[in-house]
Parts: sequence; C-alpha cells; structure tokens
Amino acid sequence: MTSSSKAIAACALLMVVCIGALSYWSEVRNDRDRGWVTRTLHVVEKLQALRIDITQCETGQRGYMLTGQDRYLELYRAGVDQVRQDMKELPDLTADNPREREAIKQLDPLIASRLAELNEGILVRKESGLLAGVEAVTRANNGERWMGQIAAQIGEMRDTEAGLLSSRLETAAASTRKIKVVIALGNTLAILILLIKYFVIQREIGKRNLAEASLKLSNEQLVRRTAELSETNIELESFAYSVAHDLRAPLRHIAGYSGVVVQDYGPRLDAEGLRFLGKITHSAKQMGRLVDDLLSLSQIGRQELSFEDTPLDVPLSQAMEDVAPEWAGRKVEWQVGELFRAECDSGLLKQVFVNLLSNAVKYTRKQEHAVIEVGQTRQNGERVVFVRDNGVGFEMQHAGKLFGVFQRLHKALDFEGTGVGLATVQRIIRRHGGRIWAEAELGRGATFFFTLSSPENKPREPAEVPLKEKKEKEEEMHVARS
Amino acid sequence: MSHEVEILLVEDSAEDAELTIRALRRNNLANEIHVSTDGVEALDFLFCRGVHADRTFTHPPRLVLLDLKLPKVDGLEVLRAIRADERTKAIPVVVLTLSKQHKDLVAGYNLGVSAYVQKPVDFEQFSEAVRQIGMFWMLINQPPPSSAFTASRTRGA
Repeated sequence: MTSSSKAIAACALLMVVCIGALSYWSEVRNDRDRGWVTRTLHVVEKLQALRIDITQCETGQRGYMLTGQDRYLELYRAGVDQVRQDMKELPDLTADNPREREAIKQLDPLIASRLAELNEGILVRKESGLLAGVEAVTRANNGERWMGQIAAQIGEMRDTEAGLLSSRLETAAASTRKIKVVIALGNTLAILILLIKYFVIQREIGKRNLAEASLKLSNEQLVRRTAELSETNIELESFAYSVAHDLRAPLRHIAGYSGVVVQDYGPRLDAEGLRFLGKITHSAKQMGRLVDDLLSLSQIGRQELSFEDTPLDVPLSQAMEDVAPEWAGRKVEWQVGELFRAECDSGLLKQVFVNLLSNAVKYTRKQEHAVIEVGQTRQNGERVVFVRDNGVGFEMQHAGKLFGVFQRLHKALDFEGTGVGLATVQRIIRRHGGRIWAEAELGRGATFFFTLSSPENKPREPAEVPLKEKKEKEEEMHVARS
Repeated sequence: MSHEVEILLVEDSAEDAELTIRALRRNNLANEIHVSTDGVEALDFLFCRGVHADRTFTHPPRLVLLDLKLPKVDGLEVLRAIRADERTKAIPVVVLTLSKQHKDLVAGYNLGVSAYVQKPVDFEQFSEAVRQIGMFWMLINQPPPSSAFTASRTRGA
C-alpha cells in the first residue's frame, strides 16, 4: 500500500470511529432528555392530581357543610390524605430542580393554610350546625383567595414545567436532528472515502497486474531466448567437433597416399617431384594439427570442469616437462617464481601453461640468450600470473587480434603455428572467470598476463548442457554427413 | 588352404581399406584379405549366404577387422550377429574405427569385442597400429581351433 492509500484508510477508519462515538453520545443524550421529559410529565401529572385532590377536599368539605352527611366528610378526608400524599411526592419528583422545589416550598404553606381553614369549617359545622357553618364559609372569603393563590401557583408550576418540557423537547429534537445530519454526512463521507480507496486499490492492482504480465512476458522471452542460444551453442560446438572429426580421415589418406607414392615410386621421381610430394604431406600434417587444435578448442566448451584448490606450480611444472623437448639443445634461461593457489581445473591450466611456454620457447628461437620468466604479481588488487620472454615480440597495435581463432601475428614462414592455441587458452581462462592479456614490444619480447577469479567472484557457468546431450547431437551430425 | 580368407576387413572407405591392406601386406601378415564394404555383405560372407552362398563354415577368417560406421547394417550390429551364433562366436573381432566415443566402447565390450582400436589420425601411426594388430592376431595369437565352432558339427544346447 502506498502512503496516500494508508492515509485514506486511516481517514475512513477515523470517520467510522467518530460516527460511532457520536451515535453513542447521541443515544446517551437522548436517554437523558427522555428522562427529563418523563420526569417533567410526572411533575405535571402530579400537579394536576394535586389540584384535583384539593378540589376534592373543597368539594367534600362543602358537601359536608351543606348536608352534614358523613360521606362528604369521608370524601374530604380522602382528599386531604391524597393531598398530603401528593405534597410528599412532589419534592421527590423535583429533587434535581431547585426552582421547582422553591415553588413547592411556597405552595406548601398555602395548601396547609387552606386545609386548616377547611378543617375549621368542618369543626364549626359539626359543632354549630348548618347555618353557623355557612356563615363561617361565607364570612371567610379567604377560601377563594387561597384557592386562587394555590391555583395560580400550581398553574405557574405547571406552565413552567410545560414550558420546560416543550423547550427540552425542542432542544432534544434539534440536537437529535443535528446529530442525525452529522451522522448522515459522516457516513456519506466515510462511504465516499471508502469508494475512493476502492478505486485507488483497483488502480494499484491494475498497475501491478500489468507489471506482472509484462514481467512474465519478458521472462518467457528470456527463457525462450536462452533456450535458443543454448541450442545454437550446442549445435555450433557439435558442428565444430563433428567437422574436426570428419576431417581427420581424409587427412590421413592424403598423407598416407603421399607416403605410399614416395615408398613405391620414390626412386622414379626427381628431386622436384619428391619435394612436391613433401609439400603435400607437410600440408596434410599442418591441417592435422589445425584440426586437433580446433577439436580441443571446441572441447573446452563442452567439457565439465572439475575445480580444485591447487597451487599453480603443479600444472606449471607438468607443462614445463611437456615443453622440454621443444627447447632441447638450446640455451634457455628459466626464471620461475612461486605461484599462488587457486580454484582451478589443473588439467586445463596445464594446457594454458603448455601453450604459453611453448609460444615463449618458439618466439625466442632467434635469441642467442633466451630468457623466459614465469611468476606472479599484483595488479589492481588482483593476483596475476605472467609469462615473459625476451623473444621477437609483436606490435601492440595488433594485440587485439592475438586471441582470435586463426589469427597470427607472424608469418608462417618465420614461426609455424595454427593460430588456435591462444584462442584455446583464452577460453580456458574465461571459463575460470579470469582475464588474459598481453604486452609486448617488437624485437624486445612479450609478456602474457592472466587472472583467475576468486571463488566468490566466479561467474555462474552459462547453462551447461549435459555432455551426453552434446555428444548425442554430434552423433546426429556425424551420421548425417556419412 | 592357401585360398582361405585369413582376414575379413569390414570397411566402407576404399582409401582406408587400401591403406590398411598395404600395411598388412608390406609386413607379410596376410595374403588373403577379403573386404566387405557394408554390414550386410559382411554378414553374408560370415554366414555363407547370399552372394557368398558358396562358402562353408569350416574355414572362418582368422581375424575380422571391423569398422563401426557402415552403411546398411552398422558395425555393432555385425558384431552382435557374430557373437550370437555358435558357428561364428569364436572368431576374433577387432574393432578399428574413427570413433573413441564412450558409448561405442561400452557397447563394443558388452557385445564381446576382442579388441578396440581407434584409427590414428597420423598415417605413420596408423600403419604402425595396423602392423601391430596384424602381428599380434596373425602371428602371436593362437586362433580358435575348428572345434571351437562346434555347431558346425553337432547341434549344441
């Protein structure tokens, strides 16, 4: 996920949490408001009841005053009890509202006074009879005044409550509305954000899929190309091997028949004739050497290397033994230093040394005092092996051709050779992950340097086709030819 | 007896055949040499059939020099046929071929070849190799007696 994606997700999450909190808070508020409303209704109801009960007292008392009947007295008494009950309950209902409590406190004495008055009236009636009672009632016009006050008080309280109730309902409704709007907006926003997020993700997925697809395509192409190259490689090497192989038989025949002619007809030929035949044989032999060199060059690519930690002195000394016959009878000064150890294929390294030493020996042939030096040095932190001679050397401007197949920097007349040797050497060195190069001066000598890679730096071998496969390929080509 | 074939040379290359025969003759190793240029004819010769129906099994060649790359039927098949039959099984067979391939060596020895020689590239070495082969198999080696080819007399198990 990109950081903007994360931000969007965080926003959405935050929004949802906020909405949740808001909803919860709104519920709590609602509950509280509902509580308020309920209580207010109760108070109003109670006040209403109080009025009725007081009225009942009045009615009971008046009835008794008029009729002196007990049932009116009972009505009155019941009313008084009710009123007392109501007055007890009211404070509880308004426990949290100080203003109301004040109002109730004011109401209390009024009611008490009125009840006292009523009671007095009853007593007078009881004792003094109807007329005295009526007189008492009409005389004390306080009744109306009390009642008026009480009614007014109750009315006021009721109004206050009613007002409170309606305003509370109003605020509750308003806040509920506000909250609803906020919630709705919040939800919409959250949904929008999620939608955006969805699209963003879709786009990312799309991009990624595209990238994956193109990667897969590239991969497939790569694999195919590698397979093609590998295939071509095998074919080329099999071809080279096959060619070299097939060329050997006719070569033998050429040299052979020339030899036969010399054997059987030699006496009958003159010197020129013999010389010509000699040339034929010589050329056939030269070609044989070339074929052998080519064959071993192509072998290098096909062989399996066996790397071992070897001191390079070992292949060097073996090579020197091999090369010894080539400078037999000459005066050659050898300066051989100690060489380092390396991970290498000893057999192939021997071939490298044989080649380089053989060249050194060959190209110093014209020197009176040939000096050949083999040793190690360091260049740019790498360990380098060198083979130096004081022979005929070559011009540095041609150095690029040195390692090409069939490339020769000297006339065949002066120095025989196939021009394949150095190409083979370069191949071997390359397969070891190393480099080979040369420095020389015409007439002063030449030095060949090479490195071998350290084990960590050894490049991975190009897809090695198993030897079996390559040989099978060769078979095909060989059979196809014959 | 002087017209009996001493060496059967199975070789499709006329030049190689000529050079081989020359090497053998020059060293007086054999007088009667028959050349078969393909596998079918070689088998006909050994099994006294086809163009060689007039031959008998009583006088098998003392040595078969066998090239592996032959047209029609290749060398290994010829070898297999020779070794599969009582009447020819004991004949010494020396493979003389260009190939030094591992699988040919394995197949050859598994089929019971008597010797396996790779033709040297160099003509002089080639002549020398032929001389040595001839020397050994014709002069030094004791050929199998005719009773070694028992099936020509009695029905073997």
